[in-house]
Amino acid sequence: MSGVTPEMLAGCAAEPIHIPGAIQPQGALMVLSPEDGRLRHASRNLREVTGLSVGLGERLNDEAPDLLRRIEDWLAGGEPATVHVVDITGRPFTMSGHVTAQGAVVELEPVASSNTAVPHGLYGHVRAFLDRLSHAASLDAMAEAAVDHVRALTGFNRTLLYRFDEKGDGTVLAESSDGVLPTLLRQRFPASDIPAQARALYVLNRLRLIVDAGYTPCPVEPALSPVDGRRLDLSLAALRSVSPVHLEYMRNMGTQASMSISIVVNGGLWGLISGHSSGPHGVDAQVRGACDMIGQVLSLNIEARQQAEHAANRLRLGRRESDLLAALSGTEALDAGLAANSELWLGITEADGAAALVEGRLTTTGRVPPENVLRDLAARIHETGEQVFSTPSLAALWPAFAAEAGIVSGVLAISVSQIRPDLLIWLRPEIVQEVEWAGNPHKAVEEGARRLHPRRSFETWREQVRLQARPWSAAQIESAASFRAAVQNFLLHHAEERAELSDKLERTNQELEAFSYSVSHDLRAPFRHIAGYAELLSEREAGLEPTSRHYLTSIKEAAAAAGRLVDDLLSFSQLGRHRLASSSLDMNKLAAEVKRSLATDIGARVVEWEIGDLPPAWGDGSMIRQALLNLMQNAVKYTAPREVARIRVTGADLGEATAYTVSDNGVGFEMAYARKLFGVFQRLHLAEEFEGTGIGLALVKRIVDRHGGTVSAQGTPGKGAEFSFTLPKRQTPTGDTPGG
Amino acid sequence: MADLRPILLVEDNPRDLELTLAALAKCQLANKIVVARDGAEALDYLYLRGPHADRVPGDPAVVLLDLKLPKVDGIEVLEQVKRDPAQRQIPVVMLTSSREERDLVRSYELGVNAFVVKPVDFNAFFEAIQDLGMFWAILNEPPPRLSYGT
Repeated sequence: MSGVTPEMLAGCAAEPIHIPGAIQPQGALMVLSPEDGRLRHASRNLREVTGLSVGLGERLNDEAPDLLRRIEDWLAGGEPATVHVVDITGRPFTMSGHVTAQGAVVELEPVASSNTAVPHGLYGHVRAFLDRLSHAASLDAMAEAAVDHVRALTGFNRTLLYRFDEKGDGTVLAESSDGVLPTLLRQRFPASDIPAQARALYVLNRLRLIVDAGYTPCPVEPALSPVDGRRLDLSLAALRSVSPVHLEYMRNMGTQASMSISIVVNGGLWGLISGHSSGPHGVDAQVRGACDMIGQVLSLNIEARQQAEHAANRLRLGRRESDLLAALSGTEALDAGLAANSELWLGITEADGAAALVEGRLTTTGRVPPENVLRDLAARIHETGEQVFSTPSLAALWPAFAAEAGIVSGVLAISVSQIRPDLLIWLRPEIVQEVEWAGNPHKAVEEGARRLHPRRSFETWREQVRLQARPWSAAQIESAASFRAAVQNFLLHHAEERAELSDKLERTNQELEAFSYSVSHDLRAPFRHIAGYAELLSEREAGLEPTSRHYLTSIKEAAAAAGRLVDDLLSFSQLGRHRLASSSLDMNKLAAEVKRSLATDIGARVVEWEIGDLPPAWGDGSMIRQALLNLMQNAVKYTAPREVARIRVTGADLGEATAYTVSDNGVGFEMAYARKLFGVFQRLHLAEEFEGTGIGLALVKRIVDRHGGTVSAQGTPGKGAEFSFTLPKRQTPTGDTPGG
Repeated sequence: MADLRPILLVEDNPRDLELTLAALAKCQLANKIVVARDGAEALDYLYLRGPHADRVPGDPAVVLLDLKLPKVDGIEVLEQVKRDPAQRQIPVVMLTSSREERDLVRSYELGVNAFVVKPVDFNAFFEAIQDLGMFWAILNEPPPRLSYGT
């Protein structure tokens, strides 16, 4: 292939096939002035084929009155000049015409007696085809009906129906054959067999016929149009002479005659019905008309079928999408919501694996490659800037992913954030396919002396197609795009909700702050006054009788208790607002200090302390002190009935965190209530047994929560209790992102 | 100790005033106790203005200052005193119901000498007042007055 230069290939695609300047010799061509009917161009064989003697610049005269009348009717805006049988000098001809900017193009072909006798008549064939089509359950059945009837109508040795894929490679879906030519069913033809400009022409001019690949082209004269000075455009002419490359291709294929009918679906070339014969073979213009009709009916049916399929697919995927959105509406985070509904997540695009990259977090389901591969993929997709990205063959785009093709070959991705590189990605594995090519497609062209020659070999050539996933259907891609819009709304809605919530929280916080400030100043004062006056009274009235003294003492105690309650509540509410001022804390020192401060609580009691070696903690000094104080104070309080109270404070290094435990031999508690212990105002003991506000442990939990740690409690009634808390160690603020 | 300077007590709440006075009385301090009922009056006393224009000149041994006061509140009084080079050496003790950290932080920023949260427990309150009274009125030697312009 080294001799095939890019210039040569470009030359092939650039061959001006619509202006060959010649026709096939089985018919004759005239170009008339639509205004005055004068002859502008004629094929050199006009007189030879038709017997007409009209010269360039002349009008058709009385020698062909039937033809003249037809042409006049047509140009006057009467009947369209599709296909008519006209009489010219006593012989039947089919006449077809079309108008271009260069004039009215009239093509005349003699009606061959062998081709007129179509069995059952044209109408019967078309009718039978329509019947079969209406009962066809599948595309293959429709294709079979088309090839059968086209072959019956035309008498070709073999008729085929090809379908082009998105790359332009054609696969033979149906074949009807009399056995003269080899079968090509299920074989593939590479896109290069039909160059781009031929494809464009096939959409425009739906039917082509080559009666004899060995024909000698008949020139049309003059070559340049008197209207615009350009070469005569024969795009729509049935007799248009074809490219010599194509004739060579036909001869290489062992076919002498061929016809093809375009199947145009949604404006694009979907496929072809083609007929081939080993020898020269003509097809009457009327039969061609019937074949064209079959082609068009088939096109419309395929289009309708595709639309119905597409609509059904969209409906199916749409249901999943709405189910998924309904499920997501109840969730906080998109990725967590998707993970919780992984079946629907995969289902909306019918993928085998899926990944969500949201705010740097990677969540996956189904079959996915390792995280680094996914992140690399996401970065590359993000770089493309595509909002909806899809490929059936990732390795064709980025060869680095070939190693992961078994998991990720097909990729469909949507970007879900305007600002962040957030992506939802669906994955499909490679499907290794065995494909039978009609000849080695990689040798589609062969080198000649001066120009490219079409390939000579059509021997079946098997190829394994790798790195390809089952392609994403239009419905699946649309489903992803539609989901993208919904997810963006979801994220937007959540962002708004969050902003609103944070506003509300801010307001509530401010109100709470104002409230607690006023509580701290105004509510404490009356309790202090009650306690103060009661104290003054008891000092003044030293001789009060015991009951009065008891009442006075009760007043003092109640006021003091109420005051403490206000203080505790206040500490609790302040905790939420207090900013953490974390540092490394010497817990041994802290515990010793707390122990000393408990001296007044202990009074004359006997307490045996055992304070172990405590690992340093990372946290807010005053808060952690408060937590430790509350736990140690509780231990002192609930060991009051013991003759000898034993209180142990121990610590442990857990690697990621440090843990501290305060245990005692006090009254303990029932484990059934362990969960309630840490709630505000939860008390497990009567007030007269143990005084307290019921806030101490709630405060401990809140402090530890704010530090990101955990609290736990163990207890046995009558034996003792054990309270533990953990504190995470300092996060090293390196700024590294995980997996980055 | 010959010259016992007065204690300035700034308190608007009559009950707190009564209880504080009772506590100070229990200390049996020889210092005279001057009471101001709001921040404006406290400043008048310190600056020898208004009703205090004719008082015997001299700084109080200590100012016991409530935080929440009518007219001019305790923080403002503290701010004025501590910003004035002629007044800033007067010891000021903040007496407050508040356990609010921002009050405490602000007070220390302004140079308060002590900050006492009035405890609900009356005995504790007595002890606190007594300690304060003793410390600032008796033990704490005032710095020599600086003279300016020499």
